[in-house]
This record gives sequence, structure tokens and C-alpha cells, in this order.
Amino acid sequence: MIEVRKVSKTFGAFTALEDVSFRVEAGEVYGLLGENGAGKTTMMRMMATILKPTEGEIEVAGYSVRIEPDEVRRRIGILFGGDVGLYSRLTARENIAYFGSMYGMEKQAIGERIERLSQMFEMGAFLDRRVGPFSRGMKQKVAIARTLVHDPDVILLDEPTTGLDVTAANIFRRVIGRLQEEGKTILFSSHNMGEIDKLCKRIALIHKGRLQFAGALEQLRAQYGKEDLDELFMTVVEGSGR
Amino acid sequence: MRNTIIWAVFQKEMRDLFRDHKTWLGTFLIPLVLVPFVFFLMGSSYSSQEQEARAHVPIAVYGSSDLLKQLEAIPGVSFHQPSDPNQALQAGQLRAIVRIPDRFDERLEAGGTAQLHVEYDSTNQKSVYARDVIEERVMAYSKQIAAERLQAAGLSETAIEPIEAVYEQVASEEKRSGGMLAGIIPLMLVVSLASGGIAVANDLIAGERERGTLEALMSAPIPANQLLTAKLLTVMIMSCTSATASLVSLTLILHFGPIASQGFALSLFTPVTLLVLILTLLLLAAFFAGLELMLSMKAKSVKEGQTYMSAVIFLAMIPSYMLMPIHPVDIPQHYYMIPVFNGVSLAKEVFYGKIDPMHGVIGLGTSLLYVVLIIAWTARLFRREGVVVKP
Repeated sequence: MIEVRKVSKTFGAFTALEDVSFRVEAGEVYGLLGENGAGKTTMMRMMATILKPTEGEIEVAGYSVRIEPDEVRRRIGILFGGDVGLYSRLTARENIAYFGSMYGMEKQAIGERIERLSQMFEMGAFLDRRVGPFSRGMKQKVAIARTLVHDPDVILLDEPTTGLDVTAANIFRRVIGRLQEEGKTILFSSHNMGEIDKLCKRIALIHKGRLQFAGALEQLRAQYGKEDLDELFMTVVEGSGR
Repeated sequence: MRNTIIWAVFQKEMRDLFRDHKTWLGTFLIPLVLVPFVFFLMGSSYSSQEQEARAHVPIAVYGSSDLLKQLEAIPGVSFHQPSDPNQALQAGQLRAIVRIPDRFDERLEAGGTAQLHVEYDSTNQKSVYARDVIEERVMAYSKQIAAERLQAAGLSETAIEPIEAVYEQVASEEKRSGGMLAGIIPLMLVVSLASGGIAVANDLIAGERERGTLEALMSAPIPANQLLTAKLLTVMIMSCTSATASLVSLTLILHFGPIASQGFALSLFTPVTLLVLILTLLLLAAFFAGLELMLSMKAKSVKEGQTYMSAVIFLAMIPSYMLMPIHPVDIPQHYYMIPVFNGVSLAKEVFYGKIDPMHGVIGLGTSLLYVVLIIAWTARLFRREGVVVKP
């Protein structure tokens, strides 16, 4: 479960997020929707305890990001958008194993977990090759496997399908489905409305740092009387006055 | 768990660095191979120049005198009469021009002083050599005439040399070579310690931030100080490796290079001086590692980090150059309390073979204090959110 209560974040004079509240239930795949620069990554970073909220409170798996950041970190796996954050001179296996060791996992457990993730993401052919020359899609698979190596309860995915080809994106969606079946709580940020529509039933829509909507997608459609999500998004954003 | 995390991060950093050929090339191979190679090249070039200067001494002599016989006796000398001797001297075709004025021998025979003009090019080492050998011959000839004059006057040579000063130096062979080494080695070691960790420190924070790996790492449940400790150790290892490579390269130069015949010795170490040297270098390595990591955190990008890091080289070079000509007994007491100055001063004492216990305590104590302060400051900075994410 993730609970965001009246959260604001400022960097000097710049307000990145203002008075944002929403709640992600345990075992739910929740969408965080917004254009580039809307504040999605800042929100993810606060949930991952990398940034501190200027105001308000965030609880992840029942722990406050302010008061118990280590407990939060133990329970989350985060995949940041943009650059995939891998060590290019290490192999895919070494990258994943390194992060496993950062979560205090034993060597044998790491090995077993890597085998499972390798099967899940079809990485067997390149698991023992150095990451540097990989394609964007291959790197993204390794980064996702790294995020999941310690089997976290809460998974934060910031624009995870950026750069993935159609096949890889489909594999990724299947994995999300499987993780949901395992009861994982997933917060999925994207600016791609179609993707959110395929994966999430409930969303939070942020525009220029302010929450425009939080709730079920069906409720949003009913509220604005529009089926097409892109159209719906534009209507909400234009109506925000920002 | 604590040590496991530090060890895991350290192991990964070393593996990552070991696979980066550029790092090893800059830190290890260049000082170890290229520096001695450059010295050997310089040495062989110098010695071939010297051989050429001795073997062939073309000069022009204008005027006549008995002195000519003396000049003819110079090994390798040849006389020339170019149409424009000054131009020939400038062009290096002549090494010197000797102008003997009219009535030169007459003046000498009359018991007077006769002037001799020797023109040479001080920017040309071969011309300087020619001047030296001419001076040697002229002085010998002058001394011979003086002796004849004294004899004619019924005096011995001691009449004009009433005092004979005998100078004896008291420094042992080890101390003399130590004195020479004390000038060069601290400079080389301190600069290597500072420069050896720069690329790594810049990569470990600014580089990781640019690649997004630092963000992923900082979201793991590992205390920031353990992560920093592992990174600090990595930078220290690279600094020490670079310093060791420089030391090995200098040893090769001293033993096999063009100055090997001067008999430099490193036998002046005692267990105490060696211990002081090791502690001094480790503390300097830790100080530079802390400082470089801090600058890497402050930098918005790897490129900006590189600019900041150049200041570290200056920080290492300034005390090294300032202290280079100073004998350890003349080093002001307060230098043993100033960062980097204290390390360089102690290293100088070690290479002179004698450490003042008070200097040892003050130098090592203040070095330790600065290491603690810089690491505490760096650790404080590392916990700030701006280190991971630059606005």
C-alpha cells in the first residue's frame, strides 16, 4: 500500500509538486499519469526516499518515508525512467547480483533469483555479456530484473517501457500481470495513455505539479463523457487552467 | 552486514575499474612505462649531444699568439675562417670565436695584462662546452705565465695564495642521495596521490549520477556512510597504485637511467622512518580521496567535475614545489600543521633519514585531523538529496 497525503515538493523557488494526495491499495497496479515534467519522477523519488517531501507525508507499505526510510527501501524496487542506470562494464548477471547483495541477499539466493528473472524476461542469451553494447530494450530488461531481484512488495516503475520494442513491451506487460497475481503493489508512471489503459484500473493524473484527478479510470470517463483516453487527458489538462 | 556491504561495493568498483583500460593506462602504465621511457630518451639524447660536443669543436681564431698552441691541443678542435663568423656562430657552424688583440704576447711579456675576447652562444650547449674548454686552456696558460713571473721575482706561488681552504662535507653517501631524493620524491609522490584518484572519484559520484546508477543504489537499504566508505577506499587504492607506480618508475630511472652512475641509494630507511612514510602517504591518500569525492558531489556533471579536480593538482603541487629547495631543518614549524604541507614536510624528513619526533607527532596528528574533517564533511554532503539528483 502507498499513501500520499498533501505532498508538496519545492526546489528553491520552483514548485515541482503541490498538495498531491492519492492512495494505492495493496496488490493494485496503479497508474501515475502526466506529461513530461508534470512531477511524476519527483513523486517516485520521494517514495523511494531519494528526495524528502517539503510538506505532507508519504507512507509506503505502512512506513513513513521521512521517519523510517530504511524500512521503506527494504520493501520497494524502483526502476527510474530515462537512463536505465546500469554498469556498462559489468555483465547483466553481475549488475543484477550487485543489487541483490545491496539488499543483503545470500549468494545462492541471488543466483536462483537471477535464473528465474532470466527466464521471465528471456535474457538467457545475453546474461553473461557486458551490458555496454546492449540495445535499449536489452538494457531495460536487465534494469527491470535488477529492480525485482530482491522480490519487493512495492514496485515503482517510472516510464518503464520507454525504448522497448513491441515484443519486449508485451513481455513486460505479461510480467506486470504476473507480479499483480503475486500480490505486488505496483505504481506505474507513464505519459502513454494507451499503456496506462491496458494495465491500470485506477490512476492519479498530475499536470504541472498539481493533482487533476485520482480514482478509477471508469469514473474519469463517466465524469467527462469521453472514452478515448488521449482526448480525456487533453480535456482534463485544458480544464486545469495551468 | 556492515562489512559485507562495504566489501560488495568495493569489489564491484574494483572490478568495474579493472575492466576500464583507460583508467589502468592513466594510473599505472603511463607512470610505470612512459615516464622511465621519456627519461631514457632524454638521457640518451643528452649523452649523444655531449659526445658530439666533445668530438667536434669548430672554432674561429683571429689574431696570433703563443696561446694558439694551447688551443690547438684541445681534443676535437678545428680552426675555421668563415666569411661571416658571427652568422656562423649563430647558425651553430662555429662553437666559439676567439679574438686575440694586436700586441697580445708583447703585453704579456712586458708583465702586463692582455685581454682576450671569446664569443659564444649561451643558448647552444655545444657552444657552452667549447667556451668551457677554451677557458680551461686559457686559465692553464695564464697560470703558467704567472708562475714564470713569480719565479723571476724570486717568489713562490704561495706568495699570491696565502690561504688554502680545505672544504670537507660531513653528510654520508645515504644522506647526500637522500637529500637529492628528498627534493624529487615528495613532489612526485604527492602529485601522484592527488592525480591518481581524480578520474575514479569523478566517475564514482558525478559519473554514476549521470548514468543513473547512483539513484538506483541510493534507493537500496544501505547506509550512505558504508557506500561512501567503499568509494573512498576505491579512490585511495587508485591513488596509492598511481604513487607506487611512480615510485617504481623513479627507482628504475635511478638504477638504470642516465643518472644511475651518481649512486643514489634508498638504504636510509629505518623501521620508524618507513612507518612514518607509509602513514603519511596513507593519510594524504585519504585526504585527497575525501576531497576529490566531495568535489565530485558538488559537480553538476562529469565535465564540471574535471574542472574542479584540476584544483586538487595545484593543491598538491604548491607545497611540493615550495618545499623542494628547503632543507628539513629550515622548514617552519607551522608548515607541519597545514594540510598537504605537513605530509610533504614529513616525507622530506624521511628521505633525509632523520625525523624530529615532535614534527612526526604534529604532522601525523594534524593530517589525521584533516582526514577526519574532510571525510565528515563529505559524508554530510553525501546525505543531501542534491548529490543524487541535481536540480
